[in-house]
Amino acid sequence: MLSVSVTASGSKITAVTIASLDDGGNFRSQSIDQQSIPILEQEAMQAQSANIQGVSGASYTSAGFQQSLQGALQSLGL
Amino acid sequence: MTLRADGDLRAGEHLVGHDEVVMGTVFSFDVALGRGGARGELHVALRHACALLHRLDALLSLWKPESAMSRYRSGALESLPCELTEVFERCAQAKAATDGWFDAEAMPGGMDPTGLVKGWAGQRALDILVGAGFPDAMVNAAGDVATSGGPGGPGRWRIGIQHPGSRAHLLGVAAVDGAIATSGCYERGPHLYDPFERRLTSRFASATVTGPDLTLADALATALAVAGPTGFSFVERLAGYEAVAMAADGTTRQSSGWRFAPVDV
Repeated sequence: MLSVSVTASGSKITAVTIASLDDGGNFRSQSIDQQSIPILEQEAMQAQSANIQGVSGASYTSAGFQQSLQGALQSLGL
Repeated sequence: MTLRADGDLRAGEHLVGHDEVVMGTVFSFDVALGRGGARGELHVALRHACALLHRLDALLSLWKPESAMSRYRSGALESLPCELTEVFERCAQAKAATDGWFDAEAMPGGMDPTGLVKGWAGQRALDILVGAGFPDAMVNAAGDVATSGGPGGPGRWRIGIQHPGSRAHLLGVAAVDGAIATSGCYERGPHLYDPFERRLTSRFASATVTGPDLTLADALATALAVAGPTGFSFVERLAGYEAVAMAADGTTRQSSGWRFAPVDV
């Protein structure tokens, strides 16, 4: 599982921090995390500053919503 | 988080929104008021849309033994409500459009339209807002998004696509004209079912489909995640629908007309 913290200044997300990583066992193999995260960390930052209004992803439960990027966007009133 | 008569709206700088807990998840509404009606009228429209979602949940939920869908499956339903008839028709259309990769009838336990119900409900909820005079609106049905217009001013709604390997990252951004739906197993674990091999499996970590209608986009995303690369053949055949998918090794594949939106704007 990933532990994620989102930092905001006003209504903009200024930082997305990954606190821990391990092999979740399903699709999330070690290699996908290791390959994609260093590349995508920068892209994700740009995406936040580029002002998205929503996030499309695999269906979350009502509990999962609180941890989702969509939930993070809305808690910030973006 | 049920919408109350006295308010309970998220109010941002440009957008008014609401999150409704329904169907075991959260449906998020965002509306730009610029071209539309007043805030009070929006509240009425949102209440109608949320009432529809709860009514569809009561009819179609497989987790509620008293729902019409549950009773249909156990053979205890004598006549079909029109909503079930419509959902079954949409399932049949989706099966034909996906060469059988989306097959609600082949699911374990019998007829199971779950793979498109949230998309169908989200599209109907959006249609209520647009019909009530709010042309710049968006409904996010737990990751499957129906949109109309844009967030105010020129330009479409910009939707990030969740990266399947990391909750903190996007695999890209799409400027959406209509709907965008994503399917994968990274949120809830394995649940995608291969109707040909009759087992739980998926061949993409994430599959995203854009197009005019969220019901079909939702079914296409589910079918593409199950089918894997071969699924791009049915996406290419459908006018107006495009897809991007990421495999478990992090490689992506796109349909011929897929366009990511620029990230820096």
